[in-house]
Amino acid sequence: MNQDTVLQVRDLATYFELRRGVVKAVDGVSFDLRRGEVLGLVGESGCGKSLTALSIMRLLPKGGARTVRGEVRLGGENILELPASRMRDIRGRRISMILQDPQTSLNPVFTIGEQLREAIFRRAPAKTAEIMKEAVAALRRVEIAAPESRISQYPHQMSGGMKQRVVGAIAMSGEPQVLIADEPTTALDVTIQLQYLKLLKRLQTETGMAILFITHDFGVVARMCDRVAVMYAGRIVECGPVAEVFERPAHPYTRALIASVPKMTGERGRLATIEGQPPSLLDLPPGCRFAPRCNLAEPQCIATYPETADIGPAHTVSCWRSDTR
Amino acid sequence: MSDEPLLRVEGLKKHYRVTKGVLFSRTLGHVKAVDGVSFTLRAGETVGLVGESGCGKTTTSKLILNLEAPTEGEVLLDGKPIHDLDGAELIAFRAKVQAVFQDPWSSLNPRMTVGRTIAESLIVNGWTQERIKARVSDLLVQVGLRAEQATQYPHEFSGGQRQRIALAAALASHPKLIVLDEPISALDVSIRAQMMNLLKDIQAEQNVAYLLVAHDLATVRHMADHTVVMYLGKIVEQGPTESLFRDVRHPYTKALFSAVLEARPGAAADEIELKGEVPSPLNPPGGCRFHPRCPFAFDRCSHDEPDLREVSPGHNVACHLYDAVETGKTSDAVRATSPAS
Repeated sequence: MNQDTVLQVRDLATYFELRRGVVKAVDGVSFDLRRGEVLGLVGESGCGKSLTALSIMRLLPKGGARTVRGEVRLGGENILELPASRMRDIRGRRISMILQDPQTSLNPVFTIGEQLREAIFRRAPAKTAEIMKEAVAALRRVEIAAPESRISQYPHQMSGGMKQRVVGAIAMSGEPQVLIADEPTTALDVTIQLQYLKLLKRLQTETGMAILFITHDFGVVARMCDRVAVMYAGRIVECGPVAEVFERPAHPYTRALIASVPKMTGERGRLATIEGQPPSLLDLPPGCRFAPRCNLAEPQCIATYPETADIGPAHTVSCWRSDTR
Repeated sequence: MSDEPLLRVEGLKKHYRVTKGVLFSRTLGHVKAVDGVSFTLRAGETVGLVGESGCGKTTTSKLILNLEAPTEGEVLLDGKPIHDLDGAELIAFRAKVQAVFQDPWSSLNPRMTVGRTIAESLIVNGWTQERIKARVSDLLVQVGLRAEQATQYPHEFSGGQRQRIALAAALASHPKLIVLDEPISALDVSIRAQMMNLLKDIQAEQNVAYLLVAHDLATVRHMADHTVVMYLGKIVEQGPTESLFRDVRHPYTKALFSAVLEARPGAAADEIELKGEVPSPLNPPGGCRFHPRCPFAFDRCSHDEPDLREVSPGHNVACHLYDAVETGKTSDAVRATSPAS
């Protein structure tokens, strides 16, 4: 394991075992997250990006979801094998998470201060006065104006952007090595989104934490991430440095996805589309999962799943036809 | 009549009373959700209404749909004020103006077959069973579905397909105008492009006008002929999409444009990061409503409210920086001062 790698995920698979069959929502995901980097995980709804994050956190939804194989190494230790009590100590301190909707991440019946205090106390038990001081400092770090008065307010008294800052303050209060941000700005307005992304980037530079940034928005990837992994139907199909993937996307899915986004410059004509729908996760094809929608597909693509191949510095792709681009 | 636009919005205002107490309620103030909005929409054209949450774009669209009554001002369709209509005239209006909303999960009745949902407006207008059946089949094919899918229920469809069904239902009564309130923002990236292309194709075939309410500027750029930018209940800038996107004038529009995260790395060169958040519409700032957050604000902005004035053909801006535009002095100075510096 590389010195700089803080989180190593290998062949992670999480299935839903239903009466109708097995839903292979995450089906063999591998990646490394290095110190101080932002790795973007992009894909459409149902591709398994959020479930990958929840599998890493071991916070799977009730109702049949089970991680059936794989390793998640945090600092060399496979956290999937730890007892639940050890995992509780790790969550919030060594690995934290920010969810999409700040409305549901905060408890409406407790003040901001009480919720922050709980997080700080769990890391380092101390006297109330000291913890309050730390809570104010934590709010100041996420650029909340007048933190002394904000601390006694309830979530409903704050705007969406401010609530998401509070969620960020709580997530970062344990000084985690790894932060998983699952669409943290999707519910925010564009000007507030930009503020939030800049804040996150600044805090990351200061603390050196690694961020796994889950999003469906290529604009956010271009602005925030160092590397990007593209997911389709439960697997990563392409991974590489952001500039490289945008300039020379190797997987037909990545290429089609980037082409279908309306641009702010250039032609205003028809947009490129991807016809069809992603495959059912209950009944996955044996070959490449994108093959039924791919205009480059050959018999080989339909028969067998392509191995992951290196096609450039730190750029990998799973496609039989990646040479034709 | 050729000069009369399909839709004319004149000095539209919608103020909501904010009260305290139940029995002896006191008025605390008014939320000025829409505060003096005017624009026109021609047949077969698309107007994009953009702005952040709370800017009044959805309230404006509700007023145009005649779902809310204005506090002041008028909406005219084909020259006739829509808020005076009742009875048969109101039914006829509803046939002419339809809507597609953001969330395809909540806009379709889960207990009705999609054929029945699409037929709803035809039943109201007294069509015969046979004609309805034929029309529903045509509509489904038109939006890219199959005629036999009319007997299925909404849960059997994906989000993108449901939005197509909502569009088919809106098209059923041959409307002249469809209000599209964030029609693609709930859809997946790869499905969005399909929906946008479909909307454009249908407009080309049927000459239907769209009022597109959206927050995504790139979407508006692709769809709209004319763009209207709103901030706190007012229009701050409007103009033909091409010229507005080429030459953004209002500082708020500039900030909005610079907050767009382009899908290409290294695109963020000169962005304006706005300080603070949108103020409460209950107590909007005096003068120009944007002045507390505006990087170019000067004395006059805090007490004198700017009017819309034309800066190039059809392109209007409400900003004091362009007051002296006739002399050409100030506007050049503004453009020379890059927002980032």
